[in-house]
Amino acid sequence: MSLGVDPHQGVERLSVPVSGWREACQSALADGERFCGAFAGGSGSGRRWRALFARGASTRILSTAPEGDELPSVVDFLPAAEWDEREAHDLHGLRFRGHEPLRALIAHPRDASSWTIPVEGEGVYEIAVGPIHAGVIESGHFRFHVVGERILLLDLRLFYKHRGLERAAEGQELAEGLVYAQRSCGACAVTNSVSYALACEAVLGLATSRELRRARTLLLELERLYNHLNDIAAICAGVGFAPGNMAFAALKERAMRLNLSLAGHRFLFGSVEVGVSRLDLPSAAVDQARGELRELRHDTARAWREIQFAPSVQGRLDDVGVLGHDDAARLCAVGPVARASGLRQDTREDSPALWYGSSFAAALPPVADGDVAARLEVRALELVEIFSMLEELFATPVRPDEASSAGPSTSIGVARVESPRGETVCVVEAEMYRVRRLHLRTGSYANWPSLVLATAGNLLPDFPLINKSFELCYACVDR
Amino acid sequence: MFVLLRHLQRVRREAALPKRSGARSLAIRHVDAGSCNACEHELTATAAPQYDLQRFGLDIVASPRHADVLLVTGPVTSRMASPLRVAYDAMPEPRLVAALGDCALGCGVLGASTEIVGSLDAVLPVDIRIPGCPPTPQAIAAAILAATPPRRL
Repeated sequence: MSLGVDPHQGVERLSVPVSGWREACQSALADGERFCGAFAGGSGSGRRWRALFARGASTRILSTAPEGDELPSVVDFLPAAEWDEREAHDLHGLRFRGHEPLRALIAHPRDASSWTIPVEGEGVYEIAVGPIHAGVIESGHFRFHVVGERILLLDLRLFYKHRGLERAAEGQELAEGLVYAQRSCGACAVTNSVSYALACEAVLGLATSRELRRARTLLLELERLYNHLNDIAAICAGVGFAPGNMAFAALKERAMRLNLSLAGHRFLFGSVEVGVSRLDLPSAAVDQARGELRELRHDTARAWREIQFAPSVQGRLDDVGVLGHDDAARLCAVGPVARASGLRQDTREDSPALWYGSSFAAALPPVADGDVAARLEVRALELVEIFSMLEELFATPVRPDEASSAGPSTSIGVARVESPRGETVCVVEAEMYRVRRLHLRTGSYANWPSLVLATAGNLLPDFPLINKSFELCYACVDR
Repeated sequence: MFVLLRHLQRVRREAALPKRSGARSLAIRHVDAGSCNACEHELTATAAPQYDLQRFGLDIVASPRHADVLLVTGPVTSRMASPLRVAYDAMPEPRLVAALGDCALGCGVLGASTEIVGSLDAVLPVDIRIPGCPPTPQAIAAAILAATPPRRL
């Protein structure tokens, strides 16, 4: 099919000597590029440290060879790279000059001082929570440094669920590797799969057709739909507003059942493949989906109005867990979290390999002051947008389609896709059509440091609410 | 709020579950031992109005100290094996262990062998097996209800 999108368009690879690494990263930022992850690639003597910068739809990959295991750190001017450097140290033994102290992230040493920030003073005490939490929540450990009820600082210890999925994918055929990206997270399964598929298609020199882009976008928006409904339910639960929680839980259940009827799986597992879409929805199926979505849209709007006018909910949201605009920008926050802080960051605006097109605009709440209220509102605004897009996406029957060959293959493929939680970056390094390296940096991974910052200075009993307003995954961070 | 409550009243409990079992209640403690979060979503959904497991006396409780069932999701990662044993040891007897989802059952496990201890069987004695990737809220509800001890006459 014509109208293919060149898979290599907008990706620039640049090799930098290690002595010029900091300057290269600084000049990328000075050019107005946004940092979107750093990771260890290659192997043996070809081992490389790479950083990704994005502007609009174009992505630049900077690579450098470490001196032995050493590299200059960039965290002093690019704090968003903190987790990436800590991860590379724990998983790949890289050391970063100037990143002091380089605290453990994925490794779990017994000594608490090796991963916590010391907080001292009169009346300061620590509260340790997790890895097992009180409700049905993923496993992870929080350590609150508290005075009275006021949180001074939050230390995180995640990666209890580290399954080594990226490592396990190594050596798999490209098509087979998808399941590792997908199962890294149930709630972002479509985003992870689409980003992996797009990265592989870039490697293989395949261009997506219009129908393929539509099918994938449709699945991505269905995923966003049930996630946003779930997140609003969770925020209601966070303030103890059971009617709102139950109403949105019921709406989410309807969205999940729609997923099941359309793609055969409530979480849309298995609906995305490398180079092909098998989604086949005849006109009866798309008509039925449109009908169900209209009802869902109506009921969602009605439930949302009730929440807007529930004083016991609204009284809990303002000025809680504030992430300021500048902090969000400095930490390169993504997704609804960034938009609630007034940062215009939505990768759907720059996704030529998907259906959105140039008319798509990120939804910013009218009062984007980065608190729980703004993060709740941005999701409600996006729900309206999602329903409109799905109405259009389901306008005609969906047919199976394949990507077509459009250029030479390459050794590295990169894809950036907006998940319900923000931009997910997938990098696939390939050798002989097999995965040599897989790196998945999800929206949750990008946003956890922002949660830590937004928590400081708040009351401890508000933490569950703040946490739910971010609603970050542990599974796709831990991998 | 009254609109919400009225609306909720209308949401039918469509799950093909028994109207009301004569069984006693069960307190459930959930532990995520490395799942992808899909099992957690479905377990949470069992409390949604369409299923409403609480009407059967099934409750997710905050502590293993007053739990009858330890409901475990995920392939057991090496980092979660020890917290999982601690939770199990904290439970009073008699106690049941439920493996929720294919990962906990040891099928369909993905990951590096060094990071995963193995299926739940390798760590704790499993009494209830709930297959699926993830199991539907209905399957979870049915399996737990079947394990609920009957009321003594």
